[in-house]
Amino acid sequence: MASKIQDALSSAAALAKGMGVTLKEMMSPTITEDYPDVPPKFQERYRGVHVLQRDENGLEKCVACFLCSANCPSDCIYIEAAENTDSLRISGGERYARIYNIDYSRCIFCGYCVEACPTDAITHGHGFEIASYDTSTLIWRKEQLLAPASPRETQTAINPPPGVRSPV
Amino acid sequence: MADSVNLTIDGKAVQAAPGTLVIDAAKKVGIEIPAFCYWEGLTLQAACRMCLVEVERMPKLMTACTLTVAEGMVVRTETPLVAEARKSMLEFVLTNHPLDCPVCDKGGECELQDMTFRYGAGEGRFDEMKVHVDEKQWSPVVYFDAPRCILCYRCVRICDEGMGVDALGVIYRGVVSEIAPNKEDHLQCDECGMCIDICPVGALTSGMYRYRTRPWEMEHTGTICAHCSNGCKTTLGTRNGQIIRGNNRDKSGINGEFLCIKGRYAFDFNSHPERLQSPLMRIGGKLEPVSWSRAIGEVARRFTEIRERGGRFGVVGSNRTSNEENYYLQKFARQGLGTNNIDHRRTGDVPALIDALAGRTGVLATVKDVYTAKASLVIGSDLAQQHPLLAYQLRANWRHHQSHTYTVTRGPVREDKYSVHGVRVEPGAELGALESLRDQLKAEPELVILFGDAIKGEAVRRLVEFGDSLGIPVKYICLVDYSNSRGAVDMGLLPHLGPGYQGVENPGMSLPEMLAAEDLDAFWVVGANPLEHNKLAADRAFVVVHDLFLTETAERADVVFPAASAYEKNGTVTNVCGEVQHLRSAVQTMGVKTDLEILGLLSKEMRINLGMWTPESVLREIRQTVRGYNVALPVIAAGGAAQSLPLNGRVTLDSRPELIQSAGDTLFTSGTLGRYSKTLLSVLEYPGVLYGEAAEPEADRR
Ligand code: SF4
Ligand code: SF4
Ligand code: SF4
Ligand code: SF4
Ligand code: SF4
Ligand code: FES
Repeated sequence: MASKIQDALSSAAALAKGMGVTLKEMMSPTITEDYPDVPPKFQERYRGVHVLQRDENGLEKCVACFLCSANCPSDCIYIEAAENTDSLRISGGERYARIYNIDYSRCIFCGYCVEACPTDAITHGHGFEIASYDTSTLIWRKEQLLAPASPRETQTAINPPPGVRSPV
Repeated sequence: MADSVNLTIDGKAVQAAPGTLVIDAAKKVGIEIPAFCYWEGLTLQAACRMCLVEVERMPKLMTACTLTVAEGMVVRTETPLVAEARKSMLEFVLTNHPLDCPVCDKGGECELQDMTFRYGAGEGRFDEMKVHVDEKQWSPVVYFDAPRCILCYRCVRICDEGMGVDALGVIYRGVVSEIAPNKEDHLQCDECGMCIDICPVGALTSGMYRYRTRPWEMEHTGTICAHCSNGCKTTLGTRNGQIIRGNNRDKSGINGEFLCIKGRYAFDFNSHPERLQSPLMRIGGKLEPVSWSRAIGEVARRFTEIRERGGRFGVVGSNRTSNEENYYLQKFARQGLGTNNIDHRRTGDVPALIDALAGRTGVLATVKDVYTAKASLVIGSDLAQQHPLLAYQLRANWRHHQSHTYTVTRGPVREDKYSVHGVRVEPGAELGALESLRDQLKAEPELVILFGDAIKGEAVRRLVEFGDSLGIPVKYICLVDYSNSRGAVDMGLLPHLGPGYQGVENPGMSLPEMLAAEDLDAFWVVGANPLEHNKLAADRAFVVVHDLFLTETAERADVVFPAASAYEKNGTVTNVCGEVQHLRSAVQTMGVKTDLEILGLLSKEMRINLGMWTPESVLREIRQTVRGYNVALPVIAAGGAAQSLPLNGRVTLDSRPELIQSAGDTLFTSGTLGRYSKTLLSVLEYPGVLYGEAAEPEADRR
C-alpha cells in the first residue's frame, strides 16, 4: 500500500518537473524559425552561394586572376579572362572575367576561393536554396553570382554605348 | 693553363674548364644560383646582384655571374649573409614594382615572384610614391609595362646580340630608366618575341597571350613549327581546344630558346574563322557541305571509274604534310592509281645534292653544325628572312666562337654585319663568284655551305666540285622553304623519284605539265595551292582538294576535304638539314580529319590495300623501306632530332632545274598558310622584303 502512494507521489513530482521545464521554456525567446514562411537568419560567417562583389564605382572587383580557381579543392570554378578597354570597362584592373562559372554540383562551400582572392571579389553570400532536379542548372554563371549593379555600372556594361558589344 | 680547375661549391667538389663562370659551374652540379640579368650565351651585365655568393678569402660578396672559377676556390651560395643580401636587393627591385601579380601575365611563372617568395621582402619600408608610367603598345606583338621592368637588360641584349636587330635600348637615368624601342614610340623589328619570353618579369607581354589565361591553366604540347623548313620545336599552350601561346622556354629541340614570329605567334591560323569544318561537294555548280561518307564515296567512285577506263591522274602533294602522309600519298598514287604523275612545289634541288654527295659520310650538316663550324658560306639566300633559325645559329657561332661567315647574295643581308666577306652578285652568277673567295676559304679549317635555289641542277655538282677542290672538310645544306619540303622530296613526291630517291620506271608528269595537260581526268591536290597563280588547262578534270581553307585551288575543286593542320596530327617531319622530328597533336578542330586518315578511308572505299594508316605503322614502313630513314626512334620519341642520311647511291636526276623555285617567303609570310594568320598580317613590317637589310660597308671588319 505504501508503495502505491510512493508511486503516485513520484509521478506527480516528475510531472511537475517536466511542466516546470515547459513553463520555463515558454518564458524564454523562441529560436525555431518559421522557414520557409519567414526567411531564415544566418550568422555573418555563413558560407552560402557566392557573390561577386563590385567596388564603390560599381565596377566588378574580380580581375580574373584565376587564384580562386587554382585554390579550389573541387576544381569547380571556370574563368575566361579578357582585357578592359577604354570603351568597355568592366573591372577596376586591367582585365576582367569574361566568363565566371561556379559548378554548385561540386562546390563544397569550403571558402578557400574567398581566402585566395586578392581583391575581395568573391565572397560567400547567404543564399542556400539551390537544390535542383536538373544538375545542369547548378552551374551558375557570372550574371547570377554578381552583386546587383549600381546605376553607373548599368550604363557601362549592361547597356553598353552603341557599337560596343556586350562581353557576355 | 690546366685543363680543368677544382673548386668547392656548397661543399660539393666541382671540376670546370678554366674561364667557366661560377654560376655555370654551380649549375653543373645541380646548384641553382638565382639570376635576373645573367643569361647563358649573352654578354655579362651584372645589373641585378641576385647572384651574390660568399667566396672564402674574398672580402665582399661576389657576383657569381661574372666571377670565373679558380683553383681551390670555396663558394657558398646559401648562407644567411647571402640570403640577407638577396633580400635587400629584392627590396630595391621592388621599390617601384607595382606588385600587380593578380593581373600580370607572368604571375605563376615569374622569376621575381619566385625570388620574393624565397627571400621575403614582399613588404617594403619605403613610403615614397612609386614611379608610375602607363603601359605602352610598341607593336601588335610587343607591349611594355615599364613599372614592372627590373632593368636586367636581357631584352636589350637578346635583341642586339641574339637577333642582330638591336631594336631596344635604355633611356633616362637612375630610378626613371626605361627600356625604349628603336622607333620612338613603336618597334620596327623582327617581331620575334624573344625579348618577351626572355623577360624575367611581366614587363614585356605579347598581344596574343595578354590577359587570356594563366600559365597553370594550360596544357603544353611540344611539337614542330608548321611554317618554315628550319623545324623549330615550339611548345603550344592550349586551353579548351584553343592554342593560346607558343614558346620554347624549356630550350628543348634543335632551336633552344629561339623561335621567330611564325613559330611563336603564327599558330593562329589554326583557329581562323574560315577554317573548313565539313567536306564540300560541287552540287549544281556550287560547293555545298556534305557528309564525310558521301564525299569519300563520291571521290572513290570517280577515281575508280577513271582508273578503270585508263584515265589520267595528276597528284600534287604538300610541303607541309607529315612524312607518313607524303609516303602514303605517293604509295596511293603509284600503287593504287597506277600513275607516276605526282609532284609538289619544289623549292630546292635536294636530289642533285644527294646525287653529288652519293657514297660519302659526314657531309650533310645539321642545325648544330651551323653553330659549331669554324666557317660558313651562304649562297643565294637572305638567311635572316628565309631561314631564321639557321641565321640565329650562325650569328651565335660568330659571337661565341668567332667563326668566319662568307655570303654570296644578290643584295644586302643581315649577315653582312659580321661576315668576313660579303659578295654581291647578279642573280645567276653566284657560282662564278665563288672563285674570288677560293683563297680565303682554302685557309679555313672546315666549312658549311648553305645554298638556296640559285644553285640547282648542274650547278649543284659544280658547287660540290668547288667544295672538294678546297681540300678541307665541307658539309652542305640545301635550303628549302617549308616545314616538310625536305620530307616531300625524301618521301618521293616527285614524278621521277620514289621514296628514298629511288628512280622509277616511266617517270610521270611534273606539276606544270599536269596544269597544262588538257586531257587530265583527275587532279588531286593534298595540301597545296597550285592554282594560286596558275590555271588548270583541263576544264573537265575532276578536282579533289584537301586543305584547311577554301584556297584558290579549293574553289576550283569538285570535292574539298577539310584537313587537320600540322598542330592537329601526330607524325614526323624532316627539316632543311634532313633532321627528322616528331609532330604531336596539340588540339583538335571539329569536323576535320588528318590527310593520312582521309587517304586511308579513300583506299578502303576503293578497296585498295595500302596497309594500315596509323602514323606509327606508316613510320615503321618508312624506316624499313626508305633509304636513309632508319632513324633512331627513341631519339624522335623523346623530342629530339635524328638526321636521315640518304646518301648510299646515285640518284636519277630530272634535267629540268627550272621547276625548282623558292617561294621567297620573308619572316612575315608563309605561303598560303601565312595569309590566314592574323598576327602576321597585323604587324607593320608585313609582308617584309628579302635583301632589304640596310647595307653597312663593313666587309672585312674584323
Ligand atoms: S567554396 Fe570551396 S569548393 Fe566552393 S568554389 Fe570556393 S574553393 Fe571551390
Ligand atoms: S574572384 Fe578573386 S581570386 Fe577569383 S579570379 Fe576574381 S579576383 Fe581572382
Ligand atoms: S620582338 Fe624580337 S626583334 Fe623585336 S624587339 Fe623583341 S627581340 Fe627585338
Ligand atoms: S623589360 Fe624585362 S627583360 Fe627587359 S630589362 Fe625590363 S625586366 Fe629585363
Ligand atoms: S624559324 Fe622557321 S621553323 Fe623556326 S619558328 Fe620560325 S618559321 Fe618556325
Ligand atoms: S645575375 Fe649576376 S648580377 Fe644579375
